[in-house]
Amino acid sequence: MKITRRFLGAAMAAAIGASASMPAFAQSATQGLSSESVIEAIKERGALKIGLSLFKPWSMRDLNGDLIGFELDVGRQLAEDMGVEVEFIPTSWDGIIPALVAGNFDVIISGMTVTPQRNLTVNFSMPYAYSGMTILANTAMTEGFALEDYNSEEITFAARRGATPATVIAEMFPKATLLLFDEDGAATQEVLNGNAHATMASEPGPSDDARDNPETLSVPFNQAYQAGGEGFAMRKGDPDALAFFNSWITWRTNTGWLKERHDYWFRGDEWKAEVAQ
Amino acid sequence: MLDKLKKLHWLDYLVLAVVVGFFGYIWWQIEGVLNYNWRWGQIPNYIVRYHTGREEWFANLLLQGLVATIRISIYASILAVILGTILGIARCSANLTIRMLARTYLEFLRNIPPVVVIFIFFFFLSQQLINALNIESWARTIARSDDKAVWEFFFGDMRRFPSLISGVIVLALFESAFVGEIVRAGIQSVDKGQREGARSIGMNRFQEMRYIVLPQAIKRVLPPLANQFITLIKDSAIISLISVQELTFKTVELVASTRLLFEAWITTAAFYFVLCFGLSMLFRRLENRGQRRR
Amino acid sequence: MSAATDIYAPKGKPLPKPARVSQVIDSVTFSVALYAGIIGVIIYVSYTGAQAMGYNWQWYRIPQYFYTVTDDGFQWGEIVYGLLKTIQLSATAFALATVLGLIVALMRLSGLLIVGAVSVGFLELIRNIPLLVLLYLFYYVLGPVFGFDRYTASVLCLGVFHSVLISEIFRAGIEAVAKGQWEAATSIGMTKGQAYRYIILPQSIRFMLPPMTGEVVHMVKSSAIVSVIAVAELTTIGRNIISDTYMSFEIWFTIAAVYMVVTLILSVGVSMVEKRYAVSQ
Repeated sequence: MKITRRFLGAAMAAAIGASASMPAFAQSATQGLSSESVIEAIKERGALKIGLSLFKPWSMRDLNGDLIGFELDVGRQLAEDMGVEVEFIPTSWDGIIPALVAGNFDVIISGMTVTPQRNLTVNFSMPYAYSGMTILANTAMTEGFALEDYNSEEITFAARRGATPATVIAEMFPKATLLLFDEDGAATQEVLNGNAHATMASEPGPSDDARDNPETLSVPFNQAYQAGGEGFAMRKGDPDALAFFNSWITWRTNTGWLKERHDYWFRGDEWKAEVAQ
Repeated sequence: MLDKLKKLHWLDYLVLAVVVGFFGYIWWQIEGVLNYNWRWGQIPNYIVRYHTGREEWFANLLLQGLVATIRISIYASILAVILGTILGIARCSANLTIRMLARTYLEFLRNIPPVVVIFIFFFFLSQQLINALNIESWARTIARSDDKAVWEFFFGDMRRFPSLISGVIVLALFESAFVGEIVRAGIQSVDKGQREGARSIGMNRFQEMRYIVLPQAIKRVLPPLANQFITLIKDSAIISLISVQELTFKTVELVASTRLLFEAWITTAAFYFVLCFGLSMLFRRLENRGQRRR
Repeated sequence: MSAATDIYAPKGKPLPKPARVSQVIDSVTFSVALYAGIIGVIIYVSYTGAQAMGYNWQWYRIPQYFYTVTDDGFQWGEIVYGLLKTIQLSATAFALATVLGLIVALMRLSGLLIVGAVSVGFLELIRNIPLLVLLYLFYYVLGPVFGFDRYTASVLCLGVFHSVLISEIFRAGIEAVAKGQWEAATSIGMTKGQAYRYIILPQSIRFMLPPMTGEVVHMVKSSAIVSVIAVAELTTIGRNIISDTYMSFEIWFTIAAVYMVVTLILSVGVSMVEKRYAVSQ
């Protein structure tokens, strides 16, 4: 019964809203477009909702259980510049784009590589970071392999479901078997255990992992693949948001802030003391 | 003690040897072959910690997750009991349409894996409900106000309230099918004479249900309902797949941030065990006490 | 025949027939039609509601995942492959669970000190941990220790989890066999083991079969959870397709429908078994 009443209430609200918006048809098209933008929604709400998925060092939990990382710095600065509060919504990676489309948050700032396939569903800002991917391999199982040797039916790769490495591996090594996991740590664990020959991930992940496990893991090739750039992802049909985020990224790139933050998290290791290793 | 030892059968020794051998093998593998550095020392930090910034003790990731699981389980149980009772009554209804609709709902939930049900309900229902009822801005206003301590006790960080409510709704809808079956069994176990008696003093169907049948039915099915509560706590782990911040999800985050793979999962399993086992012991004792009184 | 009126003939006016309207409403056809109508309305509202949200229904893309007819001929699609894998996984895990469950049940009923304690400890431990957490434990903790791959870890986890439930079924079935059978067996000089093998277990099967077949259905449903560790089976295939094509609703409903068909077929089997082995009280 409660549900019927709610539906009735929603229907009445819709009817009243529709009739009240009659004068709005007199508005010009541009005004209509701006008022529908997520930027307006953010201003009204007073809070910016950012979706992210934990992945070192983009975002992770420190010893206090708080979220720290490159994305957190970017998000907090963005919200401060917009004059609103910020809310981070940790989401599992393979549901993050559906969650954006469904409206759980306003933008994805989670080290998401710009790819045409994703671009069919969401809009991307210009890149705010460029992290290529390198191959992380199980040293014992891939001794003496050249790049072409990885493209064979006996080779198994591990990757995170829905992440760019998965697509890149499928393209570069079509004959190899590809296993997909929910989390990056799972894919790396697979290589560590010897159940997969190699995985691909964005730097500095592979170098860090190889440093932590020098006997088992190594980064065989210095080349970084697909340094295509990571961008903010937002819902389609929102030119104002696209323009706003692009301008913000341009400004912060030109003042050197983005590079400074990127180097702090990706090249340095002062932050490692705050996170359990 | 010695006379107990004398009662031991050769099978006892065999089983003991197998168990010791099993754990011994695990220990040897972990220490020797895998070269794993046990870092148990870091786990208590993730349960309770003295915050360096705020200079106070607070519950860290794992304890936050545990509390969230408890909250979600309690609220989902209450909702599931309400929905399940309605469903159970509908299954016993005289109207064929209502019976068929209830049966369809039940079969839908009983024949599809919980994982799939959770995803379907999440995408298809709870998102819509939250948007329609505007829960989010309401929760945000509370999070911004000053007297949020009471709210935070019951619901945790109010900014994450929509996600909590999604989890509760999805879990309650899923469990309501099983509660519905339990309630139906309870209703059907009430003696027919009771109903006839109720009718003969002029009660209509609604009054009969409310004053005569339901009280007796519920009393009879309290043990299975208590078991269903424990099952609900275990099923709550699945809602980590829709990114609800409960214990399993927090453990996944912990592992992603620190690679404390073994310690984190063993600790979380221990938390669930203590919670569920403790509750089942409690229910067993309450049931014994209840039966003795009768 | 006396002139007195037949005392058994009904007296007074006959009961009024119910009004035409309530006759129609209470009839079976009307109820079924109303039910079909309500279901139809729900489906319609969900469909258009999703479209209004901006969701683009693409049902036409679904059949290719069931089968494709290319130049190479007829090929089964990914969903069918996933289904076969699910059945294989469930069957293997069920076999393991049955064997393990029988062992645990016998241990529990043995009355021996350590044997009983170990079985009770095992039961309580597995019963009070969620299946998902158990899966993570098997895969991330026991996996590296024993060197399992993800398929073995899933089979073991599902087998162990369901062995607990099956052992309870075995125990109930064994205890349901009348006490007199035990006494008769021992009185003709059988040992406990022989009594189990020749007298008790064969009779207990009749009690155990109905709940056991229910466990088969339960196992198929539990198998979906192994998608979190990327084991090839129906739910995993579904999630992979969704992450490639973003057709969340269509795929989830299709997967749900496939599971429903499988469990309905199994349930039909269950009711046939139940009818054959029904215990006449």
